[in-house]
Amino acid sequence: MWGAGTRFQLPTAVFARNTHVNEDAVVTTTETSSSSLIATQQERVPLYRNTTVIKWVLQVIVLALVIFAGWFFGQQAADNLAQKGVQFDFDFININQGFDIAFGIDANPDTGGRALWVGMVNTIRLALAAIIVASILGVVLGVSRLSNNWIANRVSSIIIETLRNIPLLVQIFIWVVVFQQFGRLEADTPARLGGLLFTSARGVSIPRIFAADGFYQWLIWVLIGAVVARFVYKNRVAVRDATGNDTFAGPVAAGVVLLFALIGWFAHRIWGFLEVPLQAISDAWGSVPQSIVQILLSVLAIGGSALWIKRFLDARRTPAGLAKLTDDDYFRIVFSVLSAVVALVFFWVIWPGLSSWIVNSGSDFWQVAADKFGTDNQGNERTGGPFGFAMPDVVPNERNPNIVQYNLEALTLPIEFMAIFSALTLYTAVFIAEIVRGGILAVPKGQTEAADAIGLSRLQALRFIILPQAFRVSLPPLGNQYLNLTKNTSLAIAALYTDVYVVGNTVINQSGRVLSVFLIWMAFYLTLSLIISVVVNFFNVRLAIVER
Amino acid sequence: MSISDATQAVSEELAARDDMIVCEGVDKWYGDFQALKGVTATVKEREVVVVLGPSGSGKSTWIRTINRLEVHQGGRILVDGVELTNDTRNIEQIRSEVGMVFQSFNLFPHLTVMDNITLAPRWVRKQSRPDAEAKAMELLDRVGIPEQALKFPGQLSGGQQQRVAIARSLAMEPRVMLFDEPTSALDPEMISEVLDVMKDLARGGMTMMVVTHEMGFAREVADRIIFMESGEIVEVGTPQHFFESPSEDRTKLFLSQIL
Repeated sequence: MWGAGTRFQLPTAVFARNTHVNEDAVVTTTETSSSSLIATQQERVPLYRNTTVIKWVLQVIVLALVIFAGWFFGQQAADNLAQKGVQFDFDFININQGFDIAFGIDANPDTGGRALWVGMVNTIRLALAAIIVASILGVVLGVSRLSNNWIANRVSSIIIETLRNIPLLVQIFIWVVVFQQFGRLEADTPARLGGLLFTSARGVSIPRIFAADGFYQWLIWVLIGAVVARFVYKNRVAVRDATGNDTFAGPVAAGVVLLFALIGWFAHRIWGFLEVPLQAISDAWGSVPQSIVQILLSVLAIGGSALWIKRFLDARRTPAGLAKLTDDDYFRIVFSVLSAVVALVFFWVIWPGLSSWIVNSGSDFWQVAADKFGTDNQGNERTGGPFGFAMPDVVPNERNPNIVQYNLEALTLPIEFMAIFSALTLYTAVFIAEIVRGGILAVPKGQTEAADAIGLSRLQALRFIILPQAFRVSLPPLGNQYLNLTKNTSLAIAALYTDVYVVGNTVINQSGRVLSVFLIWMAFYLTLSLIISVVVNFFNVRLAIVER
Repeated sequence: MSISDATQAVSEELAARDDMIVCEGVDKWYGDFQALKGVTATVKEREVVVVLGPSGSGKSTWIRTINRLEVHQGGRILVDGVELTNDTRNIEQIRSEVGMVFQSFNLFPHLTVMDNITLAPRWVRKQSRPDAEAKAMELLDRVGIPEQALKFPGQLSGGQQQRVAIARSLAMEPRVMLFDEPTSALDPEMISEVLDVMKDLARGGMTMMVVTHEMGFAREVADRIIFMESGEIVEVGTPQHFFESPSEDRTKLFLSQIL
């Protein structure tokens, strides 16, 4: 009996986390010998064989190794760079690097940071445009490769097999040569497609629709229209469910948005008064003391961590009480607390200036928003429509009438952009085509047969059965292609398009801060890739087929 | 009463009923392989016909031509008086009156059991959602799994999936049900739950054509058995006649191999 009494202390202490299990053992076993047997078995496990201990020790060792490796290599790099006289700082961000950028949102950036930002915007523009066009082209190619139409089938097969098997870099150079065939821009350079298109060594100029004076006031109308359309849509769906008749919920909702857009086109001026409250928000935001923001950030970090832990524990809760937490669960909780601590250190010690940055940029943001309403910069009432429209044209240069240039209001795509854009788009489109084809083929034949057998029409089968399943299969590889495309934009250097890589190279030449620019590049591409991953994953999780 | 008397009695009673499915000299080729060679048969209203035969004999191909999952190249097929032609309206009309249950269930994995069943009634028959769902619950009750309505097919056992597939077909209120080896993909212990549902259906007066290897089911439920081999109908008769005194040698050989 003494054995049972003393030995029982240890297991309950060690396994305090699943106390109820031990209690069950006590309640259900009337024989003390059997409960002491359980206790003895637990007691005898030496530390080096205890999985809990092993897991924790390994976790701590790995963490220590990672920290050490980071510190070691960082130190080595810093020493080597110092020996070679290479400096590591980010001062160039605020210093004028003294170079122009051929195209982008700012031709003469006044600081290194601004220059890099121009490059980043160029990269994002290129990636976004290529993703959209490549997706559309890819779907068309993929579907036509599956079609029974012999010509469509053959043509897309040839395009896909050719483009897929030529390296991207070679394709970029081919497109560069193609676009270099354009002649000099002259006063008599002919318009093509009835004035919609100009081509020359200066680039391709096409009509542009741009946000004009009343755009943001009009946008308010559209947003209200979207909210109303949401209600209308739900109502239409409810009516359809109740009566069984198709109520065309989608088209009706789209019509509502269009209606509001139309009203807003003429009535956008009534939102001018928003200038006052937005200005007030901006002023209020700007007058928040830095310490308050610091405290708010800290509360946010601690609260976020606490909320995460609470949600996590809730997810582990079963009707029978809190489920036994695994060691990994404990790691998660520990790291949640750790990350809150790191955040606090960051807010108060490493970068206290973050708070004033938030105050200033927040105030600036609302200031910019306020400027979009009411009167314009010259103090005039906003009278124009929400959109402006400009046709491409060849006009004399303002400063030197002897040379000509494109109409600056129209959209001019330089040949460098056209070359990298064409190559990236076509190269990615053929891979997307194969993914689309694979996705449709991956839906078993039995699904189509079942849809036929229950009487669905061809279109209904496509809409409810084939496409939803094909899309699920295609989404992850599609996300991969978007990531590839985004990373491949760095090949823009082959076409001399000023993306973030080309601009960064110039910044390195001007400032000598190799490591700093490398870090900025890495952070930029990583952020871009993560955003794409998050978006793709969001849809992937939402569309996942439930099994078990 | 002798066996031949019994056969005669059933035949007379059957002959008085209306024709539901009429096949006249149906031919089907895959390339230069002829899968169906002039298949001629009639299925009467409320009759249960079981089609037997060795694999590759054209049983599945035949039953799949009846709702145009396979296109026949010769002969005529009429379902409830409507001929299967290239006219899409005829095809759609026949498909919505003919239910089909497949060997591999073919449920839609991305839709819940409820949505699997109500999809066609709502979009083809234009029923309201409450009506379609009430009907679906009734059917799920009938096949014995009302509690699975909101699950996805992947969460069900094979037998349950096949019962959902039967409920999905019944939701269109078909006049004929075709079963293409409905139990061949099931574990032995799940076969009986599906066969029970089918027996129940037969008792309720549904016109059924069943391709199966379940001899017990054929013997118990079938009004007539059609034996096929190499794309031809070899013998037609009542279960007693077929199992106890088959007249053709090929039938005898088949029975000796499986029994």
